[in-house]
Amino acid sequence: MLSISYDSSFDGFLSVVFEIYRQHLDVGEIRPDRSESPCNMFMQPFRIETSDESAQRLKRAIINQAGLEILNTLDVAFRSEEDGIEMKILAYLRKLFSEEDSRYAKNPTSDEMLPIYMTARSVRHEEGGMLGMVRFSRMPDGTYFAEIEPKYDILELMIGHFRGRFANERWAIYDSKRGFGFYHDGKGREPIPICIPNMREVAAATKADEFVRLWQDYYQSIAIKERENPKLLRRCLPVRYWKHLPERQAPSKWA
Amino acid sequence: MDVREKLNILSAAAKYDVSCSSSGSKRQVPGGGLGNACSAGICHTWSSDGRCISLLKVLMSNACKYDCAYCINRRSNDIPRATFTPKELIDLTLEFYRRNYIEGLFLSSAVVGTPDRTMEMLIQVAKELRIVHKFGGYIHLKAIPGASSELLYQAGLYADRSSVNIEIPTDKALQYLAPEKNHASIYKPMNFLAERKLEYKTEHSRYSPRFLPAGQSTQMIVGAAGETDLQILTLSNGFYKQQQMKRVYFSGYVPINADKRLPALTTKPPLVREHRLYQADWLMRFYKFGYDEIVDKVNPNLDLELDPKASWALRHPEFFPIDIQTADYEMLLRVPGIGVKSAQLIASGRRFSKIRLEHLKKMGVVLKRAQYFIYHPDTPACLRRLYPEMVRPLLLPKPQSLQLDLFSNQPLALPAVG
Repeated sequence: MLSISYDSSFDGFLSVVFEIYRQHLDVGEIRPDRSESPCNMFMQPFRIETSDESAQRLKRAIINQAGLEILNTLDVAFRSEEDGIEMKILAYLRKLFSEEDSRYAKNPTSDEMLPIYMTARSVRHEEGGMLGMVRFSRMPDGTYFAEIEPKYDILELMIGHFRGRFANERWAIYDSKRGFGFYHDGKGREPIPICIPNMREVAAATKADEFVRLWQDYYQSIAIKERENPKLLRRCLPVRYWKHLPERQAPSKWA
Repeated sequence: MDVREKLNILSAAAKYDVSCSSSGSKRQVPGGGLGNACSAGICHTWSSDGRCISLLKVLMSNACKYDCAYCINRRSNDIPRATFTPKELIDLTLEFYRRNYIEGLFLSSAVVGTPDRTMEMLIQVAKELRIVHKFGGYIHLKAIPGASSELLYQAGLYADRSSVNIEIPTDKALQYLAPEKNHASIYKPMNFLAERKLEYKTEHSRYSPRFLPAGQSTQMIVGAAGETDLQILTLSNGFYKQQQMKRVYFSGYVPINADKRLPALTTKPPLVREHRLYQADWLMRFYKFGYDEIVDKVNPNLDLELDPKASWALRHPEFFPIDIQTADYEMLLRVPGIGVKSAQLIASGRRFSKIRLEHLKKMGVVLKRAQYFIYHPDTPACLRRLYPEMVRPLLLPKPQSLQLDLFSNQPLALPAVG
């Protein structure tokens, strides 16, 4: 049995699946490079490098067999970075390509699809919520900069929304948990990937924005004291997001 | 007075307006401009009372000439008064928007001078945002009762949504509490806007600006004037059917003014009742319930202990339990514990295989509630009947354990049994 490692990207994972089929590999687990859990010592380590070509071929095959929507669902579920999501998707693809039932792809509640479907749903849920929770600050050079730390790897899914909304602004969103981000120059070009080595300095510079104070004030005065409901607040706005929300940073008058 | 102080006063004055939704409008970013509108709406944060904040919700001015008993801004209250200049408000909106704090602006106002004058001020802000600053974000404008139709029409051209609050569910109580208002004067702008929107739909071309793309909403205060839930739901059903409202909001009365016409200042806001009303509203909008199924003459008020869907199901044991393999989609929606998403999953999944209990669990169905109302291949035949009197106690939340106070002189008050 093999413990296959790959570079943690979706294309990398598809290359793994491609090689599993091509070389008839006996796979025990699939480990992304970011994984910190110890390698299973009873399995033989095996490395598969990412190949664009095999990833593209597999994508085409999935689209032919099941449609673009399913490929998107798999991609979104993969972004959950959940332990073992690779094996779940592999199990689904095995069943899909075994051609036992031609209608298999249309069933969202099959034993293999349902867990993937539910995972994709919670990734999309976080993506939708995060669209509102990105907080830009104006930097000294006039760029609007935001730092996020989402649970799932959703930054790429969100970029299209901000590109549409702030088409003529210069902005950057940075996922400091995963160490990458995107910069948009406001001139209609595609946002470009960035990395920021001196995150601490950048974070300090965001504090100088004077509108943060006004926003915090607004947040305080819009709440109705008689209706205070900390439990509901935590359910709607989980504590793990508060770190990058200035309105939850200020000492609150109540709560 | 600086902007910060004005913002504090005028947002605190607007906080009793419940509506903060930014949904229902889809708009591309204008050429060279800023912002778009997303039809699902986006919440940006939640305040410490658990309400979603998606718009910058402020009053243009809180110097009101009316004296409504329930309102914090009434003429006879001694509170600091402030008025934004259009420029201050526009700058705030744009700067907040660029930082992704908000989806747009919710602009309301106390009536200053005449209704026409007030409406003009609101329109000026919206017009400048749209035309001078090419702002494509969401704008919600309050329609001021008594403003001329020409002004209301203009508001509809710049705003995504407009609202007039009905305030108190019965006309008599409204006139008693707010001597300058009555239902007729509130219905007039509502109907006018609803009619213009209908008219506009037929003549509108792809390139002309849209008229109130996100429609209208309204709001009523619950628990200030002794109305029943039947009256409230009948009224809101009328708004959905006749005025084509997108939303009707309920606001549990928070006592802010000492007034002998109103509940005492120590009254707690009726939060549970408000919650039940919203649940009923959801049943009407997404679960295909009629208002008269949720409450009727025999039970004019919602059950505070049990949600309206479960109470309906317990009043109608003849429909349950249902077979999840064959029941209509509409019937699946009516099972307590099954929501719209799980009902859709069940309906699409059962074409391929039998849906069993473990599937339901994985789909997110709340089996704790749903189990009494459905049967599936694993249910023994003897359990395929619903006994409301047995199920009801099982659905109620467990009573909190009693806290002993061994140092007080009061005798221990035990909860009544039964």
